[in-house]
Amino acid sequence: MANPVKTGTNLLYALIAQARSYSDTIIMGRGDPDFDTPPHIVEAAKRAMVEHHADYTPPEGLLSLREAIAARVQRVNGFAVDPATEVVVTNGGQEALMLMILAALGPGDSIIVPEPNYNTYHDALKFARADKISIPSTAATNFRTDPDKVRAALTERTRALLLVSPNNPTASVIQRADLEALVALAQERDLVIIADDIYDLFIYDDYKHISPASLPGAKERTLTLNALSKSFSMTGWRLGWIVGPANLMARVRELKAAITGGTSIISQYAGIAALTGPQEPVQMMADAYKRRRKIVMDALDEMGIHYGVPQGGQFVFADISFTGMDSAELAEKILTDQHVLVYPGSAFDQERAQYIRMTFLQPEDKLREGLERMRVAMKKIMGER
Amino acid sequence: MSSQTIARILDAHAQNTLLNTPAPPLTARNAGDLSADSLYAPIDERMIETAATALESGQTHYVDVPGIAPLRAALAETLTQSHGAAYAQPNVIVTAGMQESRFLTLQMIGETVERVAVPKVVHPGVRKALGVRALKLDMLDVDAQMLPTLDTIRATLQGGSRLLFLESPSRLTGAVYSAEAVGQIAALAAEYDAVVIWDQGLAPWTDEYTSLAAHAADRTVAIGEAFPGSGLGSWMIGYIAAPEALVAPMQSQKQIMAICTSTAAQYAALEASKLYADAQPSRRARLKVARQSAVDALGAAVIPGAAANILAVRAPHTQAAVAQLQAADGADFGAPDVLRLTVSVETALPTAAIMGG
Ligand SMILES: Cc1ncc(COP(=O)(O)O)c(C=O)c1O
Repeated sequence: MANPVKTGTNLLYALIAQARSYSDTIIMGRGDPDFDTPPHIVEAAKRAMVEHHADYTPPEGLLSLREAIAARVQRVNGFAVDPATEVVVTNGGQEALMLMILAALGPGDSIIVPEPNYNTYHDALKFARADKISIPSTAATNFRTDPDKVRAALTERTRALLLVSPNNPTASVIQRADLEALVALAQERDLVIIADDIYDLFIYDDYKHISPASLPGAKERTLTLNALSKSFSMTGWRLGWIVGPANLMARVRELKAAITGGTSIISQYAGIAALTGPQEPVQMMADAYKRRRKIVMDALDEMGIHYGVPQGGQFVFADISFTGMDSAELAEKILTDQHVLVYPGSAFDQERAQYIRMTFLQPEDKLREGLERMRVAMKKIMGER
Repeated sequence: MSSQTIARILDAHAQNTLLNTPAPPLTARNAGDLSADSLYAPIDERMIETAATALESGQTHYVDVPGIAPLRAALAETLTQSHGAAYAQPNVIVTAGMQESRFLTLQMIGETVERVAVPKVVHPGVRKALGVRALKLDMLDVDAQMLPTLDTIRATLQGGSRLLFLESPSRLTGAVYSAEAVGQIAALAAEYDAVVIWDQGLAPWTDEYTSLAAHAADRTVAIGEAFPGSGLGSWMIGYIAAPEALVAPMQSQKQIMAICTSTAAQYAALEASKLYADAQPSRRARLKVARQSAVDALGAAVIPGAAANILAVRAPHTQAAVAQLQAADGADFGAPDVLRLTVSVETALPTAAIMGG
């Protein structure tokens, strides 16, 4: 039995530890791309180690990097930011996430959180002593966030709205009409928008990613996070950023100075190379995820498992309620029996105990093998029922 | 259209004097900058090679939250050897620099106690970290060398503080607690069942040093830069060494605010750990000579300190001097009319300018 006291991040770490105890584990849960960082970025880092190893690193990051970020935000996300005052470089998207929450919310304030969501948002809110107002969604609607439900949930203390698109773990992309309604609601009710665009380069079928800050009138109340972790396979470098209006960004800068100071100089130079160098590696990886997504969807179809069709991102969120099992228990069984790690929805929050998250972040042959092993495990499990 | 919500945020922010405390740069902004926390140091080619090789061989992914195992082990060993406490890998968290060490320790241990005591004169990074989230604070009076006295430490413990933050060496003056004083602090902490965050980051710049960890490892949370002087100042890497029970909450918080420390910095630090025992004594000796000549020139203006890499002087008209000298402003530490200068072997300290005020 899965340990009942383990929830959220702790539950994940217990499963990861178990997964590591086997030599042949296939990890299909973790959000770490299998691709190594493209070589030209590593090369740039090596040069920086020689030429720039002692450069001063201000809390907000190198100006040349902030300029590259501003250019990327204009090019990909469609809005302008001033590199001097509207960009802060962070230790990955994770630090950016924490800083945005701390910047926008104080004790007792509340924020609208479409659920399920990336679990560390809950932890960051707890740290900030802020409250979340959950807006649940289900696989049946492809995890759509309904603006009417958001409106109905607002309270006097609601100060912010979290929009993660594509979402982790659901892989849903907020559609234009919904986004426009949500942004209008934020304007009407004077909410700060906290936007997480970390998967913005991985979009499937005919879906389109739209940055909330690119909509008219939204920029002045929106903090937007992004990082190179997923897009350039740079999870180990810890490089991300926040862009937003200069007044809020001045606060973000002080918070950044208070929680970690600066960002590693070598990673910053690597970031400049990533943003200003060839973009083909990103396309190559996006194409691979597209193929793998199909492999995973086909296998789930064959196993009779329902899921939200991934509109973006690097994973699929699948409904396992037909097993009659809690996802933590199921994940543990699959892991113990077949050495395949899928992430239980209860690691995201208890309300999501009927889901599992699977990522496409394994080479195709490994992915196929993992899915085959999972099929064997599922067959056994269903046979036992 | 102006936003009330944003106005309210900015208003609260403007009133947060702790968070808005100015802090000196981590590394020098230019050749004449004497205000930085970390002095300019050339980097050993072997460190570059190790870091580059790691990246080339695919160490570009997330690693364990508390750090890569060999670096944690190397830090544990170095700290055990230099400070006489028995550390092992599970005691160590690798941080993304000194400020993350301050923040994680103050906030995550601070939230478990009623009151937290910090020196009135302390690195501004401490005030900044405390400004992120409110804790009940007691401010400790300091002596002429800017270290909290034993009497004030006793009084704060009697008053209910159960977490102390102490710097030895002082980040402003480089002054250290004597072995005897450290023993007394350990006894007081034990008597009141308190935990002490012990910033020993500048200890490698002193000749004689006693860490609180040597006397009271079970209640000491030691923090510092990883292998200072190795040229890693801008790479952002530090440590926390603590009893295992205290490691867990800080590790969870690191997970949600950074996931892990950059791999390039960790592998470079791993190589630094191998070079450190040979390289550091001569670095320290050279700085000592440079510092002493400045002390000779400046005489009584110098506040006595034991760390070879910094020098604090009492200087009236500090504002002008800060600007002229690019020195760290003591006011930001809580000591107006004091300047802190980073000692380096490359640049002679501008003693005449300091004397001129
Ligand atoms: C939605 C979302 N935001 C932020 C992050 C943080 O990523 P990183 O800190 O690696 O850049 C993640 C990582 O999985 C994520 O899924």
